[in-house]
Amino acid sequence: MSPADLPAELEQLHAAAFGWALSCCGWDRSAAEDVLQASYLKLLDGRARFEGRSSLRTFVFGVIARTAREVRRRAALRRWIPLASLLLGPEAVDGRPDPATAAVGADETARLVRALGRLSARQRQVLHLVFYEDLTIAEAAVIAGVSLGTARTHYERGKAALKRLLEEESE
Amino acid sequence: MIERDEHLKQAFAALRREDAAGSPSFQATVAAARARRAGVPRRRALGLAAGVVVAVIAVVVASTWRTQKSERLEIDLATVRWQGPTDFLLKLPGIELLRSVPQLGLRGLDRRIL
Repeated sequence: MSPADLPAELEQLHAAAFGWALSCCGWDRSAAEDVLQASYLKLLDGRARFEGRSSLRTFVFGVIARTAREVRRRAALRRWIPLASLLLGPEAVDGRPDPATAAVGADETARLVRALGRLSARQRQVLHLVFYEDLTIAEAAVIAGVSLGTARTHYERGKAALKRLLEEESE
Repeated sequence: MIERDEHLKQAFAALRREDAAGSPSFQATVAAARARRAGVPRRRALGLAAGVVVAVIAVVVASTWRTQKSERLEIDLATVRWQGPTDFLLKLPGIELLRSVPQLGLRGLDRRIL
């Protein structure tokens, strides 16, 4: 794939990438937009270069996950060093579901978002990649940066916890 | 179990549809990203300026502190004699006798030895 083809390829992945950014940012919409913009910049500037070792989708999702982690780290640093905000830019991710986002929309999806917000970040990521993005657990492991066994554990435990939380929510 | 997984899949599919409906367009996202990149040099310059100000303040404070420290060292410590509050206990009655050597008949002593 040539660099000239990248924008068109990214456009095809855009909806899925936005969903993934939302999950990485705990359904905080503005944070997800910031993370997605920063990720696209990395990809279009060539700071994150696709070398064909995985599918483009897996690669792009990995870049988004890393960018979300960086933004979270920067937010944590900003809390400790107030002057760092000049160098690091405006704060974006708080890592928790945006209550307004959770409240808006269909009741069932709102319940799902609330329940996902109560899972650990890794469990939420793996479940999102498998159920929302229709990826395999192996692909989810690559994107989340964990081993296949760890991803399987997160998947099973996360699924059980999510079902329990959804049942609690519906009671 | 499979039925319950199906339920999860349906819930996630509904969430995906909802997210897709509310997602910003690709062009808008890329345009916002490029606008953001344009703002980065100004932010870096501000950050650099703030860093320089902090460094200058640190140098001024350090040099002032050093000057004050060297002024304090001008006191001649050799002229200072510290006296402890319990020094009087060391002064025993008749201590002069203990510190002096008694005068014996040195001539007679010399003859006996020689």
